[in-house]
Amino acid sequence: MKKTLFLFSAAAAVVAMVSFSSCRKDPLKDMTNEESRIYITNHDSTANFKAYSTFSIVDSVAVLTLAGDSAKKALTDYDKKLIASVTAAMQQKGYTLVSKNAKPDLGINLTRIDNSYSAISWNPGWWGGWGYWDPGYWGYPGGGWYWPSYYTVYRVNEKQVAIDAFDLKNPKNSKFVAVWNSLWRGSGVWNIDNIDSMVQASFAQSPYLTNK
Amino acid sequence: MKKIINWILVFAGCFTAQAVSAQVRPPLSVDVNYSIAQPLGSLKDYSDKTSFRGWSAGLQYMLNNQWSVGLRSGYQDFYEKLPRAVYPDKQGDVSAVQTRTLQVIPIQATVSYAFTKPESAVIPYATVGVGAASMNYEKYWGEFVEKNNSWQFLVSPEIGINVPFGKASPLMFNANVRYNYAPYKYNDITNFNSVQGNIGLKFHLN
Repeated sequence: MKKTLFLFSAAAAVVAMVSFSSCRKDPLKDMTNEESRIYITNHDSTANFKAYSTFSIVDSVAVLTLAGDSAKKALTDYDKKLIASVTAAMQQKGYTLVSKNAKPDLGINLTRIDNSYSAISWNPGWWGGWGYWDPGYWGYPGGGWYWPSYYTVYRVNEKQVAIDAFDLKNPKNSKFVAVWNSLWRGSGVWNIDNIDSMVQASFAQSPYLTNK
Repeated sequence: MKKIINWILVFAGCFTAQAVSAQVRPPLSVDVNYSIAQPLGSLKDYSDKTSFRGWSAGLQYMLNNQWSVGLRSGYQDFYEKLPRAVYPDKQGDVSAVQTRTLQVIPIQATVSYAFTKPESAVIPYATVGVGAASMNYEKYWGEFVEKNNSWQFLVSPEIGINVPFGKASPLMFNANVRYNYAPYKYNDITNFNSVQGNIGLKFHLN
């Protein structure tokens, strides 16, 4: 009798332990890089995207790192491809590429963010300033834009990429207003092979962003 | 004289029978069950998949042949991964592969009523569990998680059967169906509803 009882208790304990340790299906286990990525797009709902016809894009990509608020500009193979891919997507949407001196309606900034330092909490405020792109590039300091703020970064290292489109035609208080923004987060956003699919996804989920 | 002896024997027999009946099994029992749960209502909208990751365990004390009181806990993990889609958000649109999970850990007091005598080959019963549950909500947007953890009131009516392995065996096979309700509200979940099937063993401790 005592033996049975002992065996039973042991079996129950094992069952309980196994259940506690492995019952949970871990969402991050077996998650591919593609699945890990999210593309967040925001836009100014008062903007009339058909009123814009030309755009210009930066000639390099700003890179933000732990080092500080001052951004370095870079033109790696990744950056070249990013510029080309975003340019092609804008042209597909019916906008004409012009040089920045030709008074474009829209200005497009590209930024890579290495947020690895900010362990758990993501602080959009840090990125929200306009120190990352030389304000003089477009002739004015940049404007404000919006994105969700309640996500928690689960992984310690995070790299991001941002595309910002500014209205250069109608500056408000000598600031350009961001009319569209796309932010890429997750694994592999700095991988050159993913650029085209990420650009396509960003523009596809923004049907209002068109001149047609 | 013989008559008297006969009567004594009859009485003794009765008492013995009664004593045996009261002691078919020791009053304290422990049970461990494997659980499968089907989400219902808004929980189903949130995470559609039947959960095969769960268990339930408890202690029961028989007050008499019919009534028992007890304490139990358990675990259930709801999980669904959705293909990439664009979700309109408060301030924008988010393209993500969503993984929606909810882990439930109940702690409940129970009252049970057995419909037959303990020596029956099959003992149907009904139980009501009342208590609280830890609701761990984790919705993953890609690899980014939106989390919420809270305790909620949980009530769980249940019907089931106990099948002893032999007439007075302290070990019984248990199968039951349990309905769980909690007035839990978070994001997409407006109420927690599930139907849970449990199979396992119940053992009366000596």
